[in-house]
Amino acid sequence: MKVLEVRNLSKVFPGERSIVALDDVSFEIGNDEFLCIVGPSGCGKSTLLRMVAGIESANGGEILFHEKPISGPNEKITMIFQHFGLLPWKTALENVRLPLEVHGIPKEGAMKIALEYLGKVGLGDFMDTYPHDLSGGMKQRVGIARALAMKPEILLMDEPFSSLDELTASTLRREVLRIWADPNLPTDTFLMVSHNVSEAVFMADRVLVMSPRPGRVVEDVKVDIPRPRVEHARDPKFFDTVEYIIQVIEKACGGKLPGCEVNDGIG
Amino acid sequence: MHIFGFAMGLLAILSLYIFVISAVHNPEISNLPYYTFRSLLRISATYLISLVTGLFFGLLAATTKTGSMILVPLFDVLQSIPILGYFPAAIIFFISAFQGAEIGLELAAMLLLYTSMEWAIFFGVVGAVKNIPTNIVEAAKSFDIKGYGYIRHVVLPAIVPALISGSTLAWGDGWFFMIAAEYITYGGKNYSLPGLGSYLAKAAYEYGDTNLAIVLLIIITVLVVYINFLTWHRLTERAGSGTYKPIFRTDWPKGLAFSGIRRFSHMHHIPRIHLSFGFRHTILSTSRRRIYSRIEKGMAVVTVIALIFLVVMVAKPGIPSLDEIKGSLLIPEMANLPFYTACTLTRLTIAYLISLGIALSMGILAAEKKGFALIFYPIYDIGQSVPILALFPILFVSLSQIFGGSLGLEITSLTMLVADMIWYLFLNIVTAVKTIPDEIREVSQLIGMKGLQRVRHIVLPAILPAVVTGSILSWATGWNTVIFSEYMPYGTKVLWLPGLGSFLDKAALQEGNTILLGFLLLIMTALVIAVDRLIWRRLLRKAERYAGEAM
Repeated sequence: MKVLEVRNLSKVFPGERSIVALDDVSFEIGNDEFLCIVGPSGCGKSTLLRMVAGIESANGGEILFHEKPISGPNEKITMIFQHFGLLPWKTALENVRLPLEVHGIPKEGAMKIALEYLGKVGLGDFMDTYPHDLSGGMKQRVGIARALAMKPEILLMDEPFSSLDELTASTLRREVLRIWADPNLPTDTFLMVSHNVSEAVFMADRVLVMSPRPGRVVEDVKVDIPRPRVEHARDPKFFDTVEYIIQVIEKACGGKLPGCEVNDGIG
Repeated sequence: MHIFGFAMGLLAILSLYIFVISAVHNPEISNLPYYTFRSLLRISATYLISLVTGLFFGLLAATTKTGSMILVPLFDVLQSIPILGYFPAAIIFFISAFQGAEIGLELAAMLLLYTSMEWAIFFGVVGAVKNIPTNIVEAAKSFDIKGYGYIRHVVLPAIVPALISGSTLAWGDGWFFMIAAEYITYGGKNYSLPGLGSYLAKAAYEYGDTNLAIVLLIIITVLVVYINFLTWHRLTERAGSGTYKPIFRTDWPKGLAFSGIRRFSHMHHIPRIHLSFGFRHTILSTSRRRIYSRIEKGMAVVTVIALIFLVVMVAKPGIPSLDEIKGSLLIPEMANLPFYTACTLTRLTIAYLISLGIALSMGILAAEKKGFALIFYPIYDIGQSVPILALFPILFVSLSQIFGGSLGLEITSLTMLVADMIWYLFLNIVTAVKTIPDEIREVSQLIGMKGLQRVRHIVLPAILPAVVTGSILSWATGWNTVIFSEYMPYGTKVLWLPGLGSFLDKAALQEGNTILLGFLLLIMTALVIAVDRLIWRRLLRKAERYAGEAM
């Protein structure tokens, strides 16, 4: 069953030299699916994510969520950010609580839910800590708790691991996969943006490869590696898939790599 | 492009002068170019002295341990005493030393200007040297660059931006205090130095010609803006982006850059001011937040006492006897001291609250609607360029005609205080609004916050540190202005409002009571420090709890 459908989407940033960020992008995501978008810097993948989140408008085409067009932020679609997006003046608990309260959940209830989700990401003991005193990995855990506490159907992730050190990132990747597979959580559809190809292959069911600006979908690669992927991360198949996607990106960049930052670090 | 702008500006100013001189009827109007020259000379000479000493002491304080231990707390104390408070003492000293000759007045005026200019340069240099990134210091060490080479290739390039922004501020402060420095009453007599400031004061008080005063105010503003274009803004541009780490980005439409006059009026001026101000923001906040050791605190206390002792001594040589001290302090008016203090504090508080209210609403407007931010910077820019003290005579003359002397002066005084205090709050707040990270804006959008929720959860907490910094600066400048604005030498008469500022002025300028003057300076310094400790430092600490975050 498809949850989200992107149809002929395009986006132009007006200006002296107007920039065509996205050009005729179409794809769909099914329920329970983990989709990752990769592409060189500036290909509009983050813009695309923000349009799905409803905080950026389209110039053409539409995005359908359960067949209905998205026109603004939707509480069933939440997001985690590259730089965590935590409010520095609020404690971990207050950060998780805030969206709940804005959506009209009474204080007591919001507190209970926030505590529950902070516990789920292993930060129960840090509820009164300010972001300033948390490590990068812990901050992103708060970000994840805040997004999940809204019980969304779709979780958007904008390069969620790229400002973390590799060891922390690796731990968090597994945790996110665990959350995705958890049958007790209502959030089953994950859409991630990344420029790390190994990470994409490690996590996603499908990898959408985008071209440099103007961003178009060049190829939709199905990742045919069994899960849990930790056990298959050394398989030749894994490396072949990574290699194949990198080649697709290189081809989309016209065969030259300069300006096409492709990270093939091990996930 | 620059030559074109320079020539156009010069032409405009020349025609303005010719027009004013031929159209205005006033016995002194033909002296206008001479007055301009004298004011320019006075401010430039003082600026050069400030630059040289600021650079020298700044480098000394930043590169040597002893220098840092003595100079930094010393300058910090000197800058936190309201500058205008020194002034009566300087007048007494120089007038008696030179028996009222013009050179004595000139030196007194230059000392006042110097005390307003020096700090920005000194702390700019110290801050810049201390902020040289460790990796650059280490790189220099690893290539064995030291001594002169280190100063030449590492230190000097690093302090250029600080020197430029410090100079911009010093230059502005010089014009700000010009009118107070050039028009003095002492012992019932008027002393004035030839200059634009004194001419403006005379136009308002002696000729009673408000129109002329307004014309002069416009001329001064035009000059200030023009010179800023020619010097600081260009220099800032040349210093380059490599040396600068602006506190926030400037995203002004680049398209404006290509038409001569528009470039002149928009591109240079407006964005650059932010850079320099953002920079000042850091200097001041770091110098403010610094924690002094016990030795340094001791140094500071000794300095203040020595300074006040010096003030008392210069006018009356010899150590005053106990009876003399008693006689000077136990005057009947002393009973009013608590009342005066309360008056001044109330005046400052009211002016501060009005300023804060306006600045906050503007900041929130700018945060909620991007278009407003684009309007606010030019407002700031023009408002900042008007030497506010010069507005004082004009306002007073027009208001006293409507409300009568005392009420007129009270309203003038409050208006002056607001006009003076608001800019620091305004710019700090609007700047902070601009620096709210995109991600945080997106989060608030994504969560679906509405206007008031956004103000409460995002905008207000985000600007709290800026409000505190702005408040500290605005109170510091407020204490200064209060000395000027409570006491009004009006032709041969003197009007005053009950307050600490006017008490201080009367003690010095009417009675020549230097012991009382020293005592009042002590009281005022104590008040400034008390307000700083009790209120601002606490708030700063609160704001610091999350200040280290990517804000």
